[in-house]
Amino acid sequence: MRVLFFAQLKDATGCNAVELAAASPLNTAQLWTELVQRFPALAAHRPNVRLARNWEYAAPDAIFADNDEVALLPPVSGG
Amino acid sequence: MEIEIQLTDQPIAEKYLPPPQLGAVGAWLEFRGVVRGEENGRTIRALEYEAYPEMAGREIRRLLQDISARHPCRAAKVIHRVGVIPAGETAIYVGVASPHRGEAIELLAEFMDRLKQDVPVWKRRALPTNIVGDDVRSLTLSAKKPETPHVVSYKSLDEARAAIRSRCPPLPAVRAPLAEALGRVLRETVCAPEDLPPVDRSMRDGYAIRADDASKTFSVVDTIHAADWKPRQLKTGEAVRVATGSALPCEGLRVVMQEHVERDGDKLHVARRENSTNVRLRGEEVRQGQPLVSAGTKLNAGALAILATVGNANPPVSPRLRILHFTTGDEIVTPDQTPKPGQIRDSNSILIRSLLQNFPCDVEQGHLPEDFEAAKSEVANRKSQIENADVLLVSGGASVGETDFTRALLEQLGFGIVFSQVSVRPGRPLIFGVNGGASVPVPHCGIGSLAPPNKVRVAFGLPGNPLAHFVCFHFAVAAALAGLTGGEPPEFLRGQLAEKLDDKPCPRETLWPARWEWRVGQTFLSASSGDFPVACADNANTGQECPANQQTGMSALHLLAWASSGDITCMAAANALVRVPANCAGLDNGAKVDFLPVAAMLGGG
Repeated sequence: MRVLFFAQLKDATGCNAVELAAASPLNTAQLWTELVQRFPALAAHRPNVRLARNWEYAAPDAIFADNDEVALLPPVSGG
Repeated sequence: MEIEIQLTDQPIAEKYLPPPQLGAVGAWLEFRGVVRGEENGRTIRALEYEAYPEMAGREIRRLLQDISARHPCRAAKVIHRVGVIPAGETAIYVGVASPHRGEAIELLAEFMDRLKQDVPVWKRRALPTNIVGDDVRSLTLSAKKPETPHVVSYKSLDEARAAIRSRCPPLPAVRAPLAEALGRVLRETVCAPEDLPPVDRSMRDGYAIRADDASKTFSVVDTIHAADWKPRQLKTGEAVRVATGSALPCEGLRVVMQEHVERDGDKLHVARRENSTNVRLRGEEVRQGQPLVSAGTKLNAGALAILATVGNANPPVSPRLRILHFTTGDEIVTPDQTPKPGQIRDSNSILIRSLLQNFPCDVEQGHLPEDFEAAKSEVANRKSQIENADVLLVSGGASVGETDFTRALLEQLGFGIVFSQVSVRPGRPLIFGVNGGASVPVPHCGIGSLAPPNKVRVAFGLPGNPLAHFVCFHFAVAAALAGLTGGEPPEFLRGQLAEKLDDKPCPRETLWPARWEWRVGQTFLSASSGDFPVACADNANTGQECPANQQTGMSALHLLAWASSGDITCMAAANALVRVPANCAGLDNGAKVDFLPVAAMLGGG
């Protein structure tokens, strides 16, 4: 699955996106484990980050599958 | 409910008209959020906004639909600007239409509150100057440094184009007489200052009478020539002699053709009346206040004629771009010379000069010696020339060493390098830099020089081979020039291959030189074996295909042979660049592809 980073999370990870090859679909906790393993700096942001799956905010019990577009969204500040 | 949502990296227009035909709507309420020029006592020149566009649009729509269940909404228009937004300019525009004002006010208030909680848009950083580049990330007002250094130098084609667009804001507009405005970008929407035609006009030579006058015999009370303006109310039984194009003396008239009357002195007998009133009504073509030519339009002959019609003789347009182009390398000789072994004739200078003809600009060209110290001193000699240029182009060799030369030279001149590699074939070692325009470089962190406001200059280091030049010009330089003029860059269109592509997989995207032609549906279908839909030029960005009833033909793309980025023979025939995905081993005849139209197709307007 493709995981996109926005705003300060780009600084934390040093990239805009990453391709995660997961053997099976991941729940929220498993997804975070994968991501923090890869980008330890993300851990500090986790309490404030909302997850989106396929362009909609993901419910806490969402499952993230291989062909999903996942996005990590820090607190928004538009307008 | 009609909903219009836009995310744009362009300035938001100063005025929008309410949507027409609103029916039971009593309130059209508009809100603009502007970038504050001061925050906590610190001056801010600009804010950089970032969005997750695919999701932001959906969230805005979802919010509007949700809120409108409680506060009735008939229409809404939401435009959020992203990229660098100077202080004082609009970051968000919202217009909502409701049956009553109370509903509109509550709707708008709740929408803005929830937008700030849910819509994935971020204020990225505040900029004390208008210099922008990935290398100047540490210029954020907050003293906190990013946790990891952010190094972006290798960009995809789309990322490179987006990076260019966000760093090439429109240059300040100038007023130009119409005769000098062809090809420039109009910077303010021109609306009709009055109805067109401004009065009812006769479409025939004949006699004007009241439309409700059933008399058979009339007295001719006046004659109105084409240039006359003689307002008067006609009474029953009165007629006025008019010519084609005459301004009628009042409204509510009809014109009886002169062939259908008999005249005897001042008396007129009407033998026949047509169904048509033979009147071109006031405002029939254009209503006062209606937009005629929108800001951002590249002015062509027709648009200029409209401006002339409404008396806009000195419209605000993009300035002529000042472009400075240097070739480099000691192996270059001019076209009239005979190259010694190891030398080549310079084809890039005329190539660049010719490609630039699609943009109103003044081009100066020069040559830099290959020795870096000598090049630096040549550059120092031309300091004012360089500082006056809006765009600096340096044709370098394709090798790493020569790329370093261009990069170092641009940094020496104070340009911050935004990227130096693009994942595109041909043309990977493309350098893009931005400079605010001041003379003193800041010598740390690779940061470019700090700039006075309102002066952004950009530079490209182009890979030396002519075909790479050709490709880079169209996907990168043209996008920068469009941005600086305030116009739209050429976008990818959708077309079909007219033959099969066999290629070795390449990890980069390829922009393949091609010859485009329009094929009307049936002809093209019979010309190839595949059973594929025939479509007009679909929008490559939205993926939308034209509706079936508009499917009249298709861009047929013939691929041209090229072997290396030095291959020049295909350039003369190429009028398109076909986008071949990375790692693609081949494409079938009839495969749908994106292509970028090139200068030969764009024409002068």
